[in-house]
Amino acid sequence: MRCLRMLVRILVLLYLAGAPALAQTLCQPNASNGYRVRISIKTALGNQAYEWNENEMFLFRATMAFAMRRYYKTETYNVDNIIVCNQTRRVSFWFVVISPENPTMLIPKADVEKAVSMSRHRINNAFLLTDRTLEFLGIYPTLAEPVNPDTPPWLIVFGVVIGAVFAGIIALLVSSLLQKRRKEKGMMEDGQDEEDRQMKGVENGINLDGIYNRGFTDDDRFTKL
Amino acid sequence: MCLTHTWDNPMQFVLACVSYAVGLGNVWRFPYLCQMHGGGGFLIPYMLMLVLLGVPLFYMELAIGQKMRLGSIGAWRAISPYLGGVGMASVVTSMYLCLYYNVINAWSFWYLFHSFQSVLPWAECPVNSNLTGPVEECERATPTQYFFYRETLDISGSIEENGGIHMGQALCLLLAWIIVYLFIVKGVKSTGKVVYFTATFPYLVLIIYLIRGVTLHGAINGVKYMFTPKMEQLAKPTTWINAATQIFFSLGLGFGSLIAFASYNQYNNNFEKQAIVVSMVNSSTSIFASIVTFSIYGFKATFNYESCLERVRLLLLNTFDLAEDTISLENVNHWIAELNRTHPEQFASLGGRLETCDLEAELDTAVEGTGLAFIVYSEAIKNMPVSQLWSVLYFIMLLLLGMGSMLGNVIAVITPLSDLKFISVLSYLVGLVCLFCLLLGLGFTTRSGNYWFTMFNDYGATFSLLFIVLIEVITVCYIYGIKRFEKDVEDMLGHRLNWYWKIMLAGVSPILLIALFIFYIVNYIQGGTPTYQAWNKELGKSVVTEYPPYAQAFIGLLLASSVCCIPLTALYTYCKKRNLASGKRERTVSTVSA
Repeated sequence: MRCLRMLVRILVLLYLAGAPALAQTLCQPNASNGYRVRISIKTALGNQAYEWNENEMFLFRATMAFAMRRYYKTETYNVDNIIVCNQTRRVSFWFVVISPENPTMLIPKADVEKAVSMSRHRINNAFLLTDRTLEFLGIYPTLAEPVNPDTPPWLIVFGVVIGAVFAGIIALLVSSLLQKRRKEKGMMEDGQDEEDRQMKGVENGINLDGIYNRGFTDDDRFTKL
Repeated sequence: MCLTHTWDNPMQFVLACVSYAVGLGNVWRFPYLCQMHGGGGFLIPYMLMLVLLGVPLFYMELAIGQKMRLGSIGAWRAISPYLGGVGMASVVTSMYLCLYYNVINAWSFWYLFHSFQSVLPWAECPVNSNLTGPVEECERATPTQYFFYRETLDISGSIEENGGIHMGQALCLLLAWIIVYLFIVKGVKSTGKVVYFTATFPYLVLIIYLIRGVTLHGAINGVKYMFTPKMEQLAKPTTWINAATQIFFSLGLGFGSLIAFASYNQYNNNFEKQAIVVSMVNSSTSIFASIVTFSIYGFKATFNYESCLERVRLLLLNTFDLAEDTISLENVNHWIAELNRTHPEQFASLGGRLETCDLEAELDTAVEGTGLAFIVYSEAIKNMPVSQLWSVLYFIMLLLLGMGSMLGNVIAVITPLSDLKFISVLSYLVGLVCLFCLLLGLGFTTRSGNYWFTMFNDYGATFSLLFIVLIEVITVCYIYGIKRFEKDVEDMLGHRLNWYWKIMLAGVSPILLIALFIFYIVNYIQGGTPTYQAWNKELGKSVVTEYPPYAQAFIGLLLASSVCCIPLTALYTYCKKRNLASGKRERTVSTVSA
C-alpha cells in the first residue's frame, strides 16, 4: 500500500515537473495549431509608445484567455492556458492555447481564429493598437460593413443644385412675362396719344431695322478698354 | 444684326474673351508640355510663337468680327463670296466641340457632388461582396483610377463594346446643358453678366491653390523639376511645333467664337489693345496654373515616394525581425545594402516584393488631359488635410473654366444661325441647339462613351482648325487684300496698321501655319493606324488598342466634314453665279425682243 502511494506521488511529481516542459514543446514556431502575432507599438503610438515587457505579455495572455472564455461561454480558461514562445526584437511571437481540461491537448486553429475574430476589437483596445499594428498572421480582420444610405449623398446635392436652376428658369420666365405685360399696357395707353405726338412732329423712337450709317461718326473715336 | 445686341461695356467683351480663352487646356495641357519639353526652357518657343502666331491671328479675327458685325458664316461671305465656306467649317467644328466639351463639365459636376461626403469616395477602395478585402479591380489599379473608370464612367473594355447610358452622368450632362442655356438665353445681355464671374473666380481659386500648393510637403520638388531648364529639348522640332499648336488652340482661333464675340462690339472699339491684353492674360494664366500643377505634382510624387519607402521599411523589419526603431525612412537604402551583405540568402528570398523607390520616376510620370485633371489631381487632393474643402474648390474652378469656354463655343454656333434668321426668337433657337447637343451628347455617357470622347478630342478640331485658319489668313491678306484690311482697321480704330501686324499677318503667320499643317499631315501618315488607350479591368490599367475599321472611317468623316465645307461652298457659289449671269443674259434678250 505504501509502495503504491509513493509510486503515485512520484508519478504526480514527475508529471507536474514535466508539464511546463511538455507545454513548452507544444508551442513551437510553425506549430500546426499556433498563430504568430506581430506588434508594432512605435508605428501606432509614436512618442507615446510603451515598452514591451513581461507585464505586457501577461496582459496579452490574459486577454487571449478572456477571448477564449467569451467564445466558449465558460469560465474555465486561465492565463496558464495560453503558451507563448519565440519572442523576437521586432516584437513578434508564437502562441498556442491548451485546453483547461486536458493540458496536452491544443485547441484547434479554427476555434482560436473564431475566438480572436469575435473579440478582436477588445484585444486591440487593450493595447491601444489597431488591426494593422496588432497582427495575427493568418487571421484576416473582417472589414466594416459598407454604409449604404437610402439616397446616395451625391443625389441630394444634385437635387439642391437642379432645384436652384429650375427656380432660376421660373424667375426668368416670370420676369419676361411681366415685362411683356407692362409693355402691352404701355402701348395701349400710348395708342391714343400717338395721333397727338405725330402732329407735334416727335419721332417714333429708334428704327431697329436700319444699318449703321457710317456717315455719322462720333468725335470720340476710341472706346476705353 | 440688331443694334440692341451689344456688350454693355468693353470690359464685358474683354472678360468674355478671357473666359473663353482661359480654359481647361491652360490647366492640363500646358503643364504637361512644359514638363515634356524641358521645363523652363519651353517658355522660349512658347513666347516666340505667341508673338509670331498667336497675337496677330487673334487681332485679325477680332477685326473681322467687329468690322462685319456678323457671325462667322455671314462675315466670311461678306469678305469673299467664294470663301463663305470657311465660316461654315468653323460652325461645324464648333458644333463638334459643343457636343463633347460639355461632357467634361458633366464629370466635374459628378466629382463636385461626390465631394460632400465624410470620406472622399476616391480615397479608399470599396470592399467586395464577402467583406474580405477591397474589390479586385481597385486593388490592381489605384482607388482614384477605379473611381474614375468604374464608378464615374463604368467604362467597357473597348470601343466596340457598347453599353447602357450611365444615369448619373446623363443627369449631370442635363444639368450642364440647362446651365449653359440659362447663360445664353438672353444673348449677350445674359452672357455679359455671367462672364464677370466665370472669368474672375477661377483666378481666386488658383491663388488659393497656389498658397496651399507651395506649402504642401514636397511641393518644392515638383516646382524645381518643372523649372529646371533642359535646353537640349529646344533642338527638337517637336518642341517648337507643340508650342505653336498650344498657342493656337489655347487662344481658340478658328472656331468662330472670337468673330462672334467681336460682332457684338461697338464699331470703334479699340480691339488692338484688347487683343494684346487677352493674349498676354491667357499665357500668363498658363504659366501660373502650371506652377500650381507642379507643386501639386511634387506633393503627390513625394507622398508616393515616402509611402514606397515605408512599405520597404516594414518589409525589411518583418522579414529580418528587427526592432521597430532600427530602420527609419532616411536609412532604408543603407539598410538594404547592409542586409544584402550580412544575410544574402534571406535577402534573396524577398525576391520581387522589394520595390525600388525613386522620386525622379514618380515626377516623370507626365500625364495630361482628363487623366491629369480627374485622376492625378484627385489623388493629390485626397491626401491633403480637409480634403473635402479642397476638392469642392478645385472642381468648382474646373466647372467655371469649362463653362466659360462652353459659352464661347455655343455662341459661335448661335450667332451665325441667328444671322440666317431660321428662327426669329433667340430663346427658342438657343433652346433648340442646346437640346440637340444634349441628345447627341448622351452618346458620350454610354459605357464606351469615353473612347468616342477621346476620338472627338483628338481628331474633331485639330486638323480642321489649322486648315481653317490657314485659309482665313490667306483670304484676308491676299484675296480680300491687305490694303483693304488696312483701310477697314483705320476706319474702326483711327490709325493705320502697324508694320508689326502687316509683316506678321501677311508673311510670318501664313508660313508658320503652312509648316504646322504639313507637319500634322506627315505625322498622321507616319503614325500608322490610329490607336487609343482602352481600360483593361483584369490588369487594372490602360492598354494601347487599335481603332476598328468603322471607327477609323468615322475619324475620316470627322476630319473631312468640316474641311470640305470650304471647297463645296466655293463650288456652289461659282455655279450659282454662273446661273445668275446666264439668267441675266436671257432676260435682257427677252426684253429687247419684246
